[in-house]
Amino acid sequence: MKPRSFFYFLHEALLGLVRNRLMSLTAMGIITVGLFLFGLFLLVTANLQYFTDLAWGEIELRVFLKPAVTNQAAIGKQLSALPGVQSVTYISKAEGAVSLEKMFNNNHLFLDEENPLPDAFNLTLTKTADPEELTRLVTAIPGIDEIVFGQDFVKFMEIAIRLVMVAGLILLFLTGLAVLYIVVNTIQLTVYARRKEIEIMKLVGATDAFVRWPFLLEGIILGLLGAGLALLLLREGYTYLVFRLQHYRRFLPLLTGKEINLTLTVSLLSMGLFFGGFGSHISLKRYLKV
Amino acid sequence: MLIAKKLTKIFNNGVLALNEVSLTVDKGEFVFLVGASGAGKSTFLNLVIRQEVPTSGVISVNQQNIAYLKKKEIAYLRRCIGVIFQDYKLLPQKTVYENVSFAMEVIGTKAKVIKPRVYTVLELVGLLNKAHVLPSELSGGQQQRVCLARAIVNRPLLLLADEPTGNLDPDTSWEIMDLLSEINKRGTTIVMATHNREIVDGLQKRVIALDRGRLVRDTPKGGYALET
Ligand SMILES: Nc1ncnc2c1ncn2[C@@H]1O[C@H](COP(=O)(O)OP(=O)(O)OP(=O)(O)O)[C@@H](O)[C@H]1O
Ligand SMILES: [Mg+2]
Repeated sequence: MKPRSFFYFLHEALLGLVRNRLMSLTAMGIITVGLFLFGLFLLVTANLQYFTDLAWGEIELRVFLKPAVTNQAAIGKQLSALPGVQSVTYISKAEGAVSLEKMFNNNHLFLDEENPLPDAFNLTLTKTADPEELTRLVTAIPGIDEIVFGQDFVKFMEIAIRLVMVAGLILLFLTGLAVLYIVVNTIQLTVYARRKEIEIMKLVGATDAFVRWPFLLEGIILGLLGAGLALLLLREGYTYLVFRLQHYRRFLPLLTGKEINLTLTVSLLSMGLFFGGFGSHISLKRYLKV
Repeated sequence: MLIAKKLTKIFNNGVLALNEVSLTVDKGEFVFLVGASGAGKSTFLNLVIRQEVPTSGVISVNQQNIAYLKKKEIAYLRRCIGVIFQDYKLLPQKTVYENVSFAMEVIGTKAKVIKPRVYTVLELVGLLNKAHVLPSELSGGQQQRVCLARAIVNRPLLLLADEPTGNLDPDTSWEIMDLLSEINKRGTTIVMATHNREIVDGLQKRVIALDRGRLVRDTPKGGYALET
């Protein structure tokens, strides 16, 4: 595209927006609301994920051995070689008994010869550990009796994230439809307002691309403005929230604004671009027979 | 310049608007297309600028069969054809100057070419002093002259006129005809659809008559009706 043409298109696009300002503002508002929801969804899921990752770092897995096992050292080696395992600590049945006795403040909980506890290993995991895969691998080692997760909570979080994802995606899909609908209608109005100009343009031999570009740009500008506004609200709002909750960091760790700004900006602007561009594309397909 | 062979157009509603029309218009000719209302004159012109697609037959402009054009080629075809209408089709919010320059801008003409060219055609049609007024402030004849200026500003090889005098009084009609003759003398081929008996009889140019979609007469120098 020649730069001269670009300025012509931009001028026409802005003219279109100003002429139909009420509709344009409404469309921009809807896009803002839609992308705000989308951004909110990103923030919630990113934080849940972050929270879960942190929890994984602190999780412990206890692996109990069968009573007959004698090659504890070899099993220990095998365990530490597994992917996602950070450290392995051996806890013999005697040590297990001591720690239990400590816990219950009773030094004679077990008599030596009838200690019923199995030997065990404590595993801590890395952030990237895949619990299901690990469970499978550990169970495959001969001599392993049972695996106990330190925190069911993490499992719960994983499920919660999935639920939020599914619900969020459905909501976003519906919002996306609404946003598209309004963009299509806005552009359609401008196309209608300009039908005479379009007729003349086509008659004197303007190319399709030339006729279309101003409308496409109009949609794109709407999308980007809506996205910009949503972004502003989200970033300011989130920074404020993080600031207000800073005292609870230990219980409620949140990603900082800095950590999430780039993702948020890129996602929202590209969504705005997409909705604006795609919306006017549909509108042109339907209402601009060239 | 313009060739039609067995050109037929049947609209979706079943109306047979053109029925195997064959004709040839050479470069530099001035042709009147006459016939009763509904005879198919406008349909013929619309086929030439590819507003409509023929049902069968051949239509070619400048040695190019235009039945099978890509979208982009249609745009380029239209750049070498100017069109004027009975109802002028001017853009009401644009001034006379802007109406004419618009036709150059939208095909990507350089700005420094546009200005002198627009003033030249406005001078040709005698509207230099009205360049910056809106069409609503002009008389019908003046509006038709703006339409004409817009049609020729891109220097078309072929000028199509669909009843350009349909809304004008006789004196004003003759002014427009004088302009068209002048443009024709400068080399532009002109095809004009009209009901205006007085003008066709007065100018004694080639006349092609249509009747219910059929070509019924093609006289090199004739009048509106068959001489009796
Ligand atoms: N888009 C269309 N769809 C269906 N029928 C059409 C269409 N355009 C024209 N017709 C029909 O085709 C026939 C020829 O119409 P056309 O407009 O070519 O006549 P004309 O000679 O220009 O008439 P007039 O002198 O009134 O302008 C008419 O019967 C008309 O109703
Ligand atoms: Mg007609």
